Amino acid sequence: MADPPIFESFLADQGYALFESLGEGAFRPVGHAPGWCEEMWGAGSGREKTVRLGEQSPFLENFLVDADSFWNSKRKAAVNSGVWVERDSSGREVPFEAWALRLEGKPILIVRNLSDTYAERQQLFQTARDALLEHERLIREVQKKEILLHCIIHDLSQPLNAMRGCFNILAMEKLPGEQQRMVETGQRESQRQEQMIRGILEAFSGDLAAQQAPASQAADVPDLAACAQRVVQEFAPAFADKNIRLQLDPSLDISRGWKVAGDASRLERIFGNLLENALRYSPKGAAVTVGIEDKVHCLLAFVDDEGPGLPKDATPDRLFALFSKGKDRPGKAGLGLYFCKITVERWGGSIGAENRPGGGSRFWFKIPRMMKTAADHGPEKHPSVETPKKNAEQELSVPPRSGKAAKRLRILVAEDVDVNRELVTELLQKRGHSVAAVADGRAALAALAKQTFDVVLMDEQMPGMDGLEATRAIRQMEASSGKHQVIIGLTGNVAEEDRKRRLEAGMDGAVPKPFDMQVLFHMIETLSLGASQIVPASAARGESGPSPVSTPSQESTAAHLQRTMGGNEKLIRSLVKSFLADAPKMLSGLRSAVGQKNATKLARAAHAFKGAAANFGASNTVAAARNLEAMGKGGNLSDAEKELRTLEEEFSRLKSELLALPSKKKQTVPTRRKK
Amino acid sequence: MVQKKVCMLGASAVGKTSLVRRFVDRMFFSEIYKTTVGVSVDKKQIQVNGKDVTLVLWDIHGDDVYEKVRVSTFRGMSGYLLVADGTRRQTLEEALALSNRVTESMGKIPAVLVLNKCDLAEQWEIEASRETALATSGWSILHTSAKTGEAVEQAFMNLAQAMLAI
Repeated sequence: MADPPIFESFLADQGYALFESLGEGAFRPVGHAPGWCEEMWGAGSGREKTVRLGEQSPFLENFLVDADSFWNSKRKAAVNSGVWVERDSSGREVPFEAWALRLEGKPILIVRNLSDTYAERQQLFQTARDALLEHERLIREVQKKEILLHCIIHDLSQPLNAMRGCFNILAMEKLPGEQQRMVETGQRESQRQEQMIRGILEAFSGDLAAQQAPASQAADVPDLAACAQRVVQEFAPAFADKNIRLQLDPSLDISRGWKVAGDASRLERIFGNLLENALRYSPKGAAVTVGIEDKVHCLLAFVDDEGPGLPKDATPDRLFALFSKGKDRPGKAGLGLYFCKITVERWGGSIGAENRPGGGSRFWFKIPRMMKTAADHGPEKHPSVETPKKNAEQELSVPPRSGKAAKRLRILVAEDVDVNRELVTELLQKRGHSVAAVADGRAALAALAKQTFDVVLMDEQMPGMDGLEATRAIRQMEASSGKHQVIIGLTGNVAEEDRKRRLEAGMDGAVPKPFDMQVLFHMIETLSLGASQIVPASAARGESGPSPVSTPSQESTAAHLQRTMGGNEKLIRSLVKSFLADAPKMLSGLRSAVGQKNATKLARAAHAFKGAAANFGASNTVAAARNLEAMGKGGNLSDAEKELRTLEEEFSRLKSELLALPSKKKQTVPTRRKK
Repeated sequence: MVQKKVCMLGASAVGKTSLVRRFVDRMFFSEIYKTTVGVSVDKKQIQVNGKDVTLVLWDIHGDDVYEKVRVSTFRGMSGYLLVADGTRRQTLEEALALSNRVTESMGKIPAVLVLNKCDLAEQWEIEASRETALATSGWSILHTSAKTGEAVEQAFMNLAQAMLAI
């Protein structure tokens, strides 16, 4: 057992001072109080001396309230003050920490002088807080860059929108062959540019891409060989111009099926970037070969050139780094190979370059392959493979449509940019619709107050009242009337959070800008059709509820399609085929959403199914999908399983009807016989 | 002599300690951030309307994931300086959240909202409209700079006057 004076000396040496509470704010030192107690609070000169610590130290005065409360309770755990700093008589800062506890039944206050350890503790906090500040600074930088990126994308999209609109209008004219071909080239290239702009947004905005990765669509699984072939065709003239022979590897069997992860447009861009590189460094008369090799679990694509080979100091890290440019004949911004690298790696692949034994260099990339065909089993899941983005707004299959619409619709266009407004108006008028156009959300509300429209096309960003605000105002007004105005957003914002904002505001869908004419027509005509024929499932099942707006039961699916598609059999067949191919996936998505109790996913999947089923006037199916969508939006999924069963039953009936539709060879529409 | 407990409240690295040092010692030590661990207690005697007042200044560590401000430190507080860094918008929101904790624990007491680092005007992130809205809701707001001393004295004096007016 330790000798008490020695033990007390040890505690004092460690910076501890013990006081017994005598009540009424008075304390008596226990043992020999350290010298600093006397200096700070006049509390160390003798065992019999009492001191009123609370009067000496404002911090202790505050802490002793908690300490008294503890001593007067039956609580066992000691009370801690936390660290505090006071100044001694010389102005030096002295750190302390205190505990209130009971020892042998006595109320004891322990105060520790932390001078020896405070610097270390402060250094730890300093390091942690510096890191926190740096993290905060980086986050702000990233946010600023993301905003800048979105602004650039928006600004780049605006003129492209006008260009595509002009090409679309020209394409509707009956132009002579050569001019028609030039217009088609313009359409194709502007579309390609749009894909590139979106590609930049996706590639350089990883967080957004991560949020926008729903299940891949089976039909989207790209064929690497087909991509290579298209790019070789595209680049052939440029290579020929420099007298360089560009060829696909003769041993490549295109027809074999080379399905890989990723998406076709970006794969083509990777091939394109590698070919641009080869073109830059190949001498006249050389050959460049594009090929693919099967590596069992992945496919290896390569571009072989007969150029000078890689520089001696070229490591993969340097070649594929951001802003890396060649020394002799530099490319553009140094983004091409970097884009290839980050895109391939995001799909779970790799990329590299090496010198070929016979001279020249080989640039290659490996991509995980899809083992099963998409049609059989859907895309193979791969944990590190990014599944290409497609949101509900874009999931509607787009049947080819041209010429006049089946039904003349009254459409209100709210768009602030003059050229866009005029283009949309002209496109829709040429399609046969009646159009009124305004320049902002407030004017749209005024127009709706005066006139009835089947569809409102609402630009999202407008001065004054923007599209989302106007949509909210319309939905608020509808709350009492029970009507539902179809509102379609015109937007340059395709990120998932943007889509959610539109959904929350009450938009029925959106067409991304620069818009594709077919997508625009399809969205308008599908949603206007769906909205006019949607009835609550309860009404359709004979339960109480409002009467259906139309009487779909009086019209067979075949008659409906004949009426709405203007008897265009080809279009009907295409629509049916597309719907029957997509419906199982959509139902699977709905089942998954219900199983996971994921309300957002359910709302999105049901919205897509509703839009697709509305093409067939399938009121019961549409109503069930609409109910599911409402459940998803409202976040109440308690009846979702039941409603999903109803939807599956209704879809089963609809499918039977669609399969029973006359095929191409069995025309039921009487044809006029030649006499 | 009248003695008033004043707490300095705000997020990390907004300049609470620098404001106290500027007010007490009339000095700005360094632009290098040195974090406060725990609570640092200081005193400053001032005259308010001809009356001697001792301000007991509780410079409390920044409220963050590493150290949360204890409600017990508010006990006996007569008023507080709510400090935000004008070049970091979110520190204003963090400061206002702290202020809500004070109000929940003690009810409404005198306070001055200080938007510090006003010498860094080109990096300023707090919109004038936000300030107007806060002023409309009753906040007394000052732009200060512990570095140059701008409005530091005024901030403490305004608070002292508000505390004595009760």
